[in-house]
Amino acid sequence: MQLLLTVNGLSHEVEVRPTARLLDVLRDQLGLTGTKEGCAEGECGACTVLVDGKAVNSCVMLAVQARGKEILTVEGLAEHGDLDLLQQKFVEYGAVQCGYCTPGMLMSAKALLMANPVPSEQDIRIALAGNLCRCTGYAAIVAAVKAASGHDATPAMVLPGEADELAVEVATDPATLAIVDEVVEAAVAELTEGTAPAPEAFPSLDAPAGPPGAPAAPPPEPPEDAGDAEGGE
Amino acid sequence: MTEDLQYVGGSYPVHDVAQKVTGELIYGSDFSVPGMLHAKLILSTIPHGIVKRIDASRAEALPGVVKIFSHENSPMTRFCRARIHPGQDLAPHDETLFSEHVRFVGDRVAAVVATSRAAAEAAAALVAIEYEELPALLTVDEALASADVLVHSTGNVAYEFEVDKGERPDLEGAVMVSSTSSTPRVHHAALEPHVCIAQGHSTGGMTVWTTSQGVYAARTVIAELLDLEYHRVRVIKVPMGGSFGGKTEYIIEPVVAFLAKETRRPVKLLLDREECMIATMVRPATWTTIRTAFSPDGMLLDFEAASTLDAGAYASSTPDYSVHMCKKVTKLYRVPHYQHQSRAVLTNTPVGGAARGWGAPEIAAATEIHMDRVAAVLRLDPVELRLKNMVEPYDTDLVTGLSLGDARVRECLERGAVAFDWAARRARPAGRGRLRRGVGVAAGAHKNGMFGAFPEASNMSLKMNEDGTFELNASLHDPGCGVVTTMKIIAAEVLGVHPDRIAAGEADTATTPFDYGTYGSRVTYVVGQCARVTAEKVKGRLLQAAAELLKEPIVHLYTRDGAVRVKNDAARAIAYRDIARLSEMRHVPSISASTTYYAVSNPASYSVQFAEVEVDCATGLVAVTDFLAVADVGRAINRGMVEAQYQGAVQMGIGYALYEHLDVDEQGRSGVDGFKNYHIVNAPDMPDIQVLLVEHEGDDGPFSAKSVGEIATVPTAPAVVNAVNNALGTALSELPLVPERIIAALHEPEEVPACSSC
Repeated sequence: MQLLLTVNGLSHEVEVRPTARLLDVLRDQLGLTGTKEGCAEGECGACTVLVDGKAVNSCVMLAVQARGKEILTVEGLAEHGDLDLLQQKFVEYGAVQCGYCTPGMLMSAKALLMANPVPSEQDIRIALAGNLCRCTGYAAIVAAVKAASGHDATPAMVLPGEADELAVEVATDPATLAIVDEVVEAAVAELTEGTAPAPEAFPSLDAPAGPPGAPAAPPPEPPEDAGDAEGGE
Repeated sequence: MTEDLQYVGGSYPVHDVAQKVTGELIYGSDFSVPGMLHAKLILSTIPHGIVKRIDASRAEALPGVVKIFSHENSPMTRFCRARIHPGQDLAPHDETLFSEHVRFVGDRVAAVVATSRAAAEAAAALVAIEYEELPALLTVDEALASADVLVHSTGNVAYEFEVDKGERPDLEGAVMVSSTSSTPRVHHAALEPHVCIAQGHSTGGMTVWTTSQGVYAARTVIAELLDLEYHRVRVIKVPMGGSFGGKTEYIIEPVVAFLAKETRRPVKLLLDREECMIATMVRPATWTTIRTAFSPDGMLLDFEAASTLDAGAYASSTPDYSVHMCKKVTKLYRVPHYQHQSRAVLTNTPVGGAARGWGAPEIAAATEIHMDRVAAVLRLDPVELRLKNMVEPYDTDLVTGLSLGDARVRECLERGAVAFDWAARRARPAGRGRLRRGVGVAAGAHKNGMFGAFPEASNMSLKMNEDGTFELNASLHDPGCGVVTTMKIIAAEVLGVHPDRIAAGEADTATTPFDYGTYGSRVTYVVGQCARVTAEKVKGRLLQAAAELLKEPIVHLYTRDGAVRVKNDAARAIAYRDIARLSEMRHVPSISASTTYYAVSNPASYSVQFAEVEVDCATGLVAVTDFLAVADVGRAINRGMVEAQYQGAVQMGIGYALYEHLDVDEQGRSGVDGFKNYHIVNAPDMPDIQVLLVEHEGDDGPFSAKSVGEIATVPTAPAVVNAVNNALGTALSELPLVPERIIAALHEPEEVPACSSC
């Protein structure tokens, strides 16, 4: 049968069997594999999606029951590629380990915060009661949901790629950079002029470190294996 | 040294967290290949018998069905699901792809391969199997008593082991205490079910994508079973939704590889929850009797124990498991004489095998419940009794003869007792009404890799890219707890770059170097040290190149913030990206290194845990109201993740203590077929868990780090049980403490002398 589904703001016309589960239509027909299957009996919550703002287990809901309704899956949380506040807090608070329960946790938490923007810890724990997790003991997940509802504590995690003080990179000082540039330019010049460069301008790195040599200028005679540098051309 | 560490000891999310919160990450269960077929297993419905006839005619007639495989059209080569390298001891080859002689409800009888999962499932339901039933041995006692009915022709005792170390001292005047205890058969309950995809290639080779903890080990099993040279079998580890040991062994990989080879198509097998519960592997049930002798002032003089383990229908890793149950107590307590017999007994029940802790949680439950009984008999506080007997740093393990390393279990107990306010809480009355409170403590010991028993080593290589970033090439197997991030932090610390500047992938036998995988608490201690040594080599190359350029001796240089810098001259530095430019121009050899790192030690890891419970004497329900886990981690590489892993481990341990059990009925059928009748602790029932890390230097792991993931769950269950016994004045020792057991104990309290300090 033909079915019109609205998922993450986009409408899709899909051909489904009357017995098709919403979960299978999302995963297999729409390719939205963020929604997971952990038990197929509505116990573990990994398949939680929002249907008209309510959290449901999509493994025990027929696709036809979602006809005409607004479905939100984990893929729909990050608008224009920016993480939703809940997603950000899950990252910051270390609420994710294997991550298989994460989409369901996020969607149950989303439904909670849509209905109750300032939940108590007990409200959060009850809202997540139908979402099982074997990795985290729920502590970081509860803290993340709390943080997303304004009870921000100290975020637990350092974020990768953030321009925090740990990600500082030191630049080469100008004098040293000039030497590097000189060496590189000389090497490029040699290559373009067709003379063999010196691949061993530095002594073997495995040799004990002696006093610095004269690395900037290539030696006049290329070593025997220097042919490799041009042999391929 | 701690203050010098820039990245180690910080807190970082798992490496793929962004993909996990957006739903982008493709797990094994999400994975597909064009043209992929789907398989469905047909499992034995009887616990013991012979398959007499398989009628697949109706199934074969269904549209979409490609072929049905069973023992009738498959090789009967035997394999060992737990073998990680050829020639391994204690790796009984007792299993075939499909069974003619079925040995438990859940044994693989056949598999349907079809063009869709729905077609495969529909067809599987139409295959008619006729059995000749044999008497089933559903308990260890039945199996031990049976002379004529055998689970395997080699006998029902799969393995027996005994250690007898030290000299028994004069026991005159000693106090003798005996106890028996048991731990249940449980399901690992990784949220993602078992899954594997395999594709046969026209070259004669094969690719296998699996959510496994060891791709090289999987390859030895698959390649030999299918008679393929190793280089023709490529096994790739794909993202997995948890394992906890349940995906350590090769249960479905050989089957799927075979189906792919035969059909010459990609084939996917994704189990459902019931199949995961009954047909993969369970934590084996155990029974332990302990008899100890103590001096009246509480010094342990003699420890004698006997453990029996229900191996289930195939021996799997249970022989090794039974050995390891004998290797934990002497890591924890000093004792002049230690004797321990253990055995793995085959029964017609679900297969027992690898599970987080590998025997340690089982023997910790027995030992630590016993220690509380001793404390009661001697009228000593449980903390005091343990402190009198715990090992000291660098003691020698009586059983293995190896150094315990910088064993800080005593410090864990002392600091934990203060942090938990143990003395005051223990002195508080339990109450006489319906709700009674108690506190309990337990300690546990585990290991750091396989040194001492196995050729323990790891291999990896690390290179700098043209822009000064790095790539670590290693066979990492991240079950989801942050293995990849750990390695990045270690290399980052050595190289002086942010972990985000280092890429690290997971294992692929075609492209990443040999490593056993995520086993035996070896990853941080052994693989992590390999990462450190490899990064040190690369750092040496960077320093050498910089020394030449800066005209400074290497001893004047250090690495930090993506550059080689000059000590006492903050103005001078050469950024890695500029060293990379020189390298590209062949003025500096490639900045890369490969390492084989051989482990040199195997210290113990410890945890001491404190629980407070409230028992409802009317319902028998137990609420864990407070919990402290103290961890001897050596050094936390990723602090937030260590704490988070402990919190999860306590969730698993509370379930082990109070709720989880997978029993079989008189027909050999599991009473459990899903999470609806197998309760794992959910968010409202979890207490606040405080995690206290004991950090120190003195072992050979990276930055002195030791293992975390397994030890974290080892003492949890006995801490909870001891708290219940404290609350009720009982001597409960059979796990889990389901309400029926608690109510029964309240009506028939055992004769246990009251502890004076209670």
